[in-house]
Amino acid sequence: MALALKSWKALGTSVLVLSTQDDGLEAATTAVRRVLEDVDAAYSRFREDSELTRVNANAGRTIQISPLLATAIDAALRAARLTDGAVDPTIGRAIRVAGYDDDFSRISGPHPTLTREQGREVPVRAWRVPGWQAIRLDRASRTVWLPQGVELDLGSTGKAMAADLAATAAMAAVGQGGVLVSLGGDIGTAGESPSGGWRILVAEDSRVKPSGDGDVICVPAGGVATSSTTVRRWSRGGVILHHIIDPQTGLPTAGPFRTVTVVAGTCLDANIASTAAIVRGEAAIDWLTSCRLPARLVENDGTIHYIGPWPDPTSVAA
Amino acid sequence: MNSLTPTQRDRGLQRLRRLTFGATVGGLIAVVGVSYTAAASYAGKPSSSGTSQTTTTTTDTTSSSSSSTTSSSSGLQSAPQAPTTGSSGSGTVTSGGS
Repeated sequence: MALALKSWKALGTSVLVLSTQDDGLEAATTAVRRVLEDVDAAYSRFREDSELTRVNANAGRTIQISPLLATAIDAALRAARLTDGAVDPTIGRAIRVAGYDDDFSRISGPHPTLTREQGREVPVRAWRVPGWQAIRLDRASRTVWLPQGVELDLGSTGKAMAADLAATAAMAAVGQGGVLVSLGGDIGTAGESPSGGWRILVAEDSRVKPSGDGDVICVPAGGVATSSTTVRRWSRGGVILHHIIDPQTGLPTAGPFRTVTVVAGTCLDANIASTAAIVRGEAAIDWLTSCRLPARLVENDGTIHYIGPWPDPTSVAA
Repeated sequence: MNSLTPTQRDRGLQRLRRLTFGATVGGLIAVVGVSYTAAASYAGKPSSSGTSQTTTTTTDTTSSSSSSTTSSSSGLQSAPQAPTTGSSGSGTVTSGGS
């Protein structure tokens, strides 16, 4: 079956829309654009006029928020609860202090040492992560309250949730067949997949061409997410940093796995599991096994582990 | 052993009835008194705690209902079908870090 495809840039990453209905691509694309515009306005960390910026700037006060931001914060709190805090939205200040304080295209180049502490230069500072339990979200009244000094970052769960929302909206717009939406390699699907499933190349970098060599999995439905420490990296004073923060230390993770891919019922749940696995480090394999989600983990030395019902890479389906 | 006259026997039975009645009434008074004292000493918690337990039960029911759509106690939802292997080079989209 031929798939209709459209790609562009948004939310600081690549957007790809696939539709099984050639004549439905335009409607799908329009629906996805609308969702991403709403998402950007609701919880971009880099827009001065976003709702999230307003919430972070008003810590200590109860703030009225939109249904979309309430849903996104609720999803982030659920992620924190299900991972025992390994995925925590209160890392906002920690990731900013670590140097990820602007759109990534503006921070990815080499930077000099940033700060001086006690008379000596330090490449990076750690900020204690206050913990997700400190957030008060009232879904009924759509209000949120953060303690003083707490900043939210919904980057991980927010992007994955956006992929799910965009796929659902696109499917509703097209009305038949199936739709896949990829946001920087986090993939949400809706409707019927092509025969045999959506064919997804699993790589460490989402910019790798999908027709390239590597592990390809066929996913009939649900979501796929990959978390990696190898792509969104920057340098401070000669120290290489990345965007996955360990809430225990307030610093980029330093565990044994550099890339984790998970297949789940939604892109959001796949992303929660893949991010938590990077943060959990050596405990990730046992935890993912208990989750019974298909997962692929790449160690820092390149060794690959397949967990749960991940398909055998040596047996190719017809 | 001396045998009792009918009059003596009737008096004895009346005395026994009075003693039985007195013991019964005294016992009732004692039970009520002890119960009141106990209730006043340890009032317990208001009945709203019972409502709370009902709510908890309802929540648990909802959780177990929703967990039927998940693959494990982790609470993360699994895909309805496990993925299969595709041939290398046949991918149409890439999942990777960004």
